Amino acid sequence: MAVLVVEDIRKSFGGVAAVNGVSFALEARRIYGLIGPNGSGKTTLFNCITGLERRDAGRVTFKGERIDHLKPSQVANRGVGRTFQVIRVFPELTALENLLVVTRGPRADAERRGREMLEFVKLERLAGEYAGNLSYGQQKLVEFVRVLMTDPALILLDEPAAGVNRTLLNDLLVAVTRLRDEGRTILLVEHDMKVVMGLCETVFVLDHGEKIAEGPPGVIQADERVVEAYFGR
Amino acid sequence: MRPPRGSFLVILALGVVALAIYPAYGTGYGVRAMLQMFMWIALAGSWNLISGLTGYVSFGHVAFFGVGAYAGAILITTHGWAWPLAALAGGVAACLLALVIGYPCLRLKGPYFAIAMLGLNEVLRALVSYFEGLTGGGNGLSLPTLDASRAIYYVMGGLALAVTGVTYAILTSRFGLRLMTIREDEIAAEAMGIDTFRHKLAAFLLSAVGPGIAGALTARDQGYIEPISVFPLVVTVTMIVMVLFGGKGTVWGPVLGAVALFVIQEIVWARYPYVHPLLFGAIIVAVVLLMPRGVLGLLQLRYRLPRTI
Repeated sequence: MAVLVVEDIRKSFGGVAAVNGVSFALEARRIYGLIGPNGSGKTTLFNCITGLERRDAGRVTFKGERIDHLKPSQVANRGVGRTFQVIRVFPELTALENLLVVTRGPRADAERRGREMLEFVKLERLAGEYAGNLSYGQQKLVEFVRVLMTDPALILLDEPAAGVNRTLLNDLLVAVTRLRDEGRTILLVEHDMKVVMGLCETVFVLDHGEKIAEGPPGVIQADERVVEAYFGR
Repeated sequence: MRPPRGSFLVILALGVVALAIYPAYGTGYGVRAMLQMFMWIALAGSWNLISGLTGYVSFGHVAFFGVGAYAGAILITTHGWAWPLAALAGGVAACLLALVIGYPCLRLKGPYFAIAMLGLNEVLRALVSYFEGLTGGGNGLSLPTLDASRAIYYVMGGLALAVTGVTYAILTSRFGLRLMTIREDEIAAEAMGIDTFRHKLAAFLLSAVGPGIAGALTARDQGYIEPISVFPLVVTVTMIVMVLFGGKGTVWGPVLGAVALFVIQEIVWARYPYVHPLLFGAIIVAVVLLMPRGVLGLLQLRYRLPRTI
């Protein structure tokens, strides 16, 4: 059964149709890519799935339940986690506190889990540092493990590779693969084609708010419409 | 580096004991002055919860003080309630107002919330003036004569202590961290599964109780209230300046700000009444320009101290 089903989602801003009738379905335990030129509607689609934008029309179903009318926090609590294109850590909270805010249950357990997560991305040394004082790459990692703290079944990553150096990027790719092996589903927006082609099992291509192609990376790369959308005729 | 916790607690306990025995030796003026200082600590500490911690800057917080004052005064004069009970009712009234106002206003962001709160205060003052039958209108409301300053001193002191204690409890909890995420980045907080509206509303209700009780106590202590005396904008501004001066989002910042500014105000006001507003303006400008995080915020950053200072 599909984890997430998106049906005919539409969202306009003023006269601009940012997302114009997009449908797709995500199966469990897979890594999907969402690509497209700037302004093709990728982030808006993310926002419609996570409730940050209210869609104009269409349906979003997560694990068989409609989630398109829910508040972002309700969507998150049902198991949909996300990161942002522009980093959104809580700067005046420490790295560890950034992770603690999403936890419930005994505090000691939460702190232990938080420290494990920071260890996982090699930031345990900086647990007590304000997130705002960390480097861009480190903040990106904090944001990444903060999502994992919510134990999401579906993770939406908005340009995880942007501005991240090669070493860090490799760690990140390994981590994403591991999350998939744990049984989670990942949908990522990415401009770095190497990342998309190397990581994703299925790729969706958006252009002007519409899905113009869907398939394995190899097929997508050779698709005429995709090449045209990116480079023009 | 952290100051040793034990010695701090000893100093705190000594301070509380000293304040507890003060009325036995102090003059009537002294007791009144200290009582007012407690009031400012309670007000500044309450404002800090919604505005310093949660980031929703309220420019109308005195509205809760005024509603508490009127609720308390009406219950005392027309229903013959004992003042401690009326003080509690003042807190409840302020809380109810926060609930009614919070639903629409906490959906507003940034300056819009600040302005809505400012408007709320003006509306309340107008309403209180209009409903003469209940509130005495512009003539105000006189409470039966009663000298309870010393008793009110203890209750107001307890209130200041309670507000500070609650702030400590919140700041060291994950609930407090979640309130701070709203200040830091509300959208990210919501996307992480934090129900930001419910958290904001909880902080708002908590921030209204203290001013409501303080308002009712002040009404009892002064024996007479009128719309201008319990809904003045300058009280909100003073709360804000105290918190900004001491350090917003910390436990002791509002206390430090309230004590420092109250003492300065008393000294300057007594000697140079016309300089007083000028000085206040100068402090606002200096704090905003030179140390936007306040005294404790500055120390906190420089010496890497926890927020519980």
